Amino acid sequence: MTAQEVRLCGLLLQEHFGEVVEKVGTHLLKSGAQNLRTIIHETGLSVDLVKKSLCVLVQHGATTFSSGRKGPGSPTEYHTSCDRILRILRYPRYIYTAKTLYGDTGELIIEELLQRGHTTMSSTVKTVADRLTQNMAEGRTMDYTEVSLTFSKLVETHFLQRCPPLPGVGNKDSSAPSETPATPGTPAAPVNTAPPTPESFPECYKVPSVTLIGRGKRQLASEDGEEQRSAKRAKMDPETHGDEGIYWQVNFERFHLHFRDQTIISAVANKLDQTSSEIVRTMLRMSEVTTSPMATCTKPLSANEIFRSLPPSYNILRPILDQYLTLLVDDPMEFVGKAGESGGGMFVVNLHRALANLARATLESVVQERFGSRSARIFRLLLRKRHLEQKQVEDFAMIPAKEAKDMLYTLLSQNLVQLQEIPKTPDYAPSRTFYLYTVNQLPTARMLLQNCYKTVANLIERRLFETKESKRLLEKSQRIEAILASLQASGAEPEQLTEVEEMITAPEKQQLDTLRLHINKLDSAENQVDETIFLLESYINSTNASS
Amino acid sequence: MLTAANRATTRCWRSASPGVQVWRCSGSALTAERICVTHPSAMAAHGRGQRTLSFTMETVKGDAPPPSVQQPTPVFPVMEQKPLPLTGGEEAEYLLALKQDFRGAMRSLPCFIQPLVTNRDVERYSDKYNRSEQMDKLLDWAPGEAPPTADWKRFPRELRVHVRKPARDSVSAAVQSPPPPQMKKKGVKDKEEVLLKLESLEKKEEQETSEDEEGETKKKQEEEEAEGEEEYDEEEFEEETDYIMSYFDNGEDFGGDSDDNMDEAIY
Repeated sequence: MTAQEVRLCGLLLQEHFGEVVEKVGTHLLKSGAQNLRTIIHETGLSVDLVKKSLCVLVQHGATTFSSGRKGPGSPTEYHTSCDRILRILRYPRYIYTAKTLYGDTGELIIEELLQRGHTTMSSTVKTVADRLTQNMAEGRTMDYTEVSLTFSKLVETHFLQRCPPLPGVGNKDSSAPSETPATPGTPAAPVNTAPPTPESFPECYKVPSVTLIGRGKRQLASEDGEEQRSAKRAKMDPETHGDEGIYWQVNFERFHLHFRDQTIISAVANKLDQTSSEIVRTMLRMSEVTTSPMATCTKPLSANEIFRSLPPSYNILRPILDQYLTLLVDDPMEFVGKAGESGGGMFVVNLHRALANLARATLESVVQERFGSRSARIFRLLLRKRHLEQKQVEDFAMIPAKEAKDMLYTLLSQNLVQLQEIPKTPDYAPSRTFYLYTVNQLPTARMLLQNCYKTVANLIERRLFETKESKRLLEKSQRIEAILASLQASGAEPEQLTEVEEMITAPEKQQLDTLRLHINKLDSAENQVDETIFLLESYINSTNASS
Repeated sequence: MLTAANRATTRCWRSASPGVQVWRCSGSALTAERICVTHPSAMAAHGRGQRTLSFTMETVKGDAPPPSVQQPTPVFPVMEQKPLPLTGGEEAEYLLALKQDFRGAMRSLPCFIQPLVTNRDVERYSDKYNRSEQMDKLLDWAPGEAPPTADWKRFPRELRVHVRKPARDSVSAAVQSPPPPQMKKKGVKDKEEVLLKLESLEKKEEQETSEDEEGETKKKQEEEEAEGEEEYDEEEFEEETDYIMSYFDNGEDFGGDSDDNMDEAIY
């Protein structure tokens, strides 16, 4: 939990949950696991606010609670971790992926789940059906079964998972009797040192048998309709659907695997050509279910199998496929490796090595954009040759001595390059010591990742600053829009509308446009930095897993 | 020589500081001998971004060392290279729209908690009634979609704010159920409605304080807060009537005022 991560998490919590939750969350991040009384005392907030913030944080999975360190009798402790909160940056990407895979229905399901944290299947289906109905043409409504079907598909492909049932923390009746009997019988409160992952429960991906019959409701504009609806809703709420107590959450790891695959495929497409990327896509698709998330490479696939599974639009001949596979294996990026000769050649996709190479390419491009192409040449040289003396750097990079020295020192001061001394004598005399320049990829990647967090935090702060500066202007424009909307709804004449529109002067309009442009730029910059964050995080996690 | 150096995989710290672990290198072949033990404090000094350069090489080569920097780097340093423009395109724009929509949607959800903002420019009479309304909104939230379906089983017991609210409502339902629908239909804020709200607020605090006494010992501050609230409400509920006591003039003062002026007749 570095300072940059905590700062970024604080800003994200403030934007999405308000200042109170931000205070509680940041406090928990900085001080580790704490119980309720300490939190109240140290944050200085009122009891109700703290309780409510903790509920919000637990509901969204940012905080976990467990019985205290001193045994079952001590007060429950709350623990927050940065990772879950940093995922908030990636929410638009998750929603967009669901849209590309499962259409609008999938998009809205994932959006609902991301907004609410943990919800039941029935409530999600109802809300999504209502929202879809609103956007549809007049008279058409969305059926619940269609939404349930998409929900089931999302669960089958593991994009959604059940929230793990909690071992009774001070609550003996946590296993509600209304849960399906197939749910695993959790043992009564053994003190778990590590929180159980959702996947350790066998029912993680089982869709409950839910009786949901109905159609989405369109929200009527008139007030009478709303009153009637709310009255009806009060009567309908007690109805149960058979899935009480089963809560679902988004499975971020599965999305990350999907993103990783997409990155590898697009990298192959950029480096080689479309057909090679299709071959790699086929290989990854075939090994989706057989590869574990932390695997170094996919299971070996024979060339015959690949040939049979290629999409029918790509009717390439068998020898051409062999040539493509040979090309992929020989490529220095090492995306595909050969694992044997049986079945026409056994091929694997090297996942960890691909991630390492992609991270390396990111580092190289960062150096290139910040320091110029010649510094990037030196950097790449050092990555390949590991340790070089200054004289050798000059020779290999073909850069004059003085400039090479300058560039090396700039890189050294930015901590992208390290100096290693190898003494010949125990007294470290400078004339009798080797000074070697080197680049270590993993620590440099970690450092760049922290820089990325700092970048996003700076972007958010700048955006908040810009919004605050023009607060008066934004409020005025919002008021005028509201007036315009109400005038149009009640059917006003064009002169009145133009009169209201003229309340904003031309320079103010220009100011608003510039503000809008700046905020959009800052927002999309955040999205882009998040892509780099994802790549570096995946690389660092893959090295953690294998080591 | 260099290939042997490649085999030395552990990182070698700067030799300038004392007590650093190094690899020894003899003239012809590299032999790895640990010379000295690492000092944890010395190693701690080499934090990220604190690398000081001794520029030993430059002193060896005879060039003047670059001037040392005496002040922190500027906040917005001049960049030699301009950064690349952002990737545009349909996907980026859609992601941007999703992000902004999501942020806006989160603001309207009940999980967006705003603290009580007290606009104390002028003390207003409606403050004491508005405050109870705001507290209601704050306390009415519960995890799950609507308050009736809150699933408190998934949360630790100490986080519960309303435990027996439905039960309490049913107990006083006989008294309260006729007035609320009428009040809502009329839409008029009578004294009774305010009174009912104060009653329910007091009940909530009573049950809160009783919960606290059952459970762990709470801080005095919170109890004092609750007591303060209760004291205010007790005034009204001394005799459990529908009338606010301070409005009622029971005529004790009636006869005494006119002792001074006996000229006028007493009606």
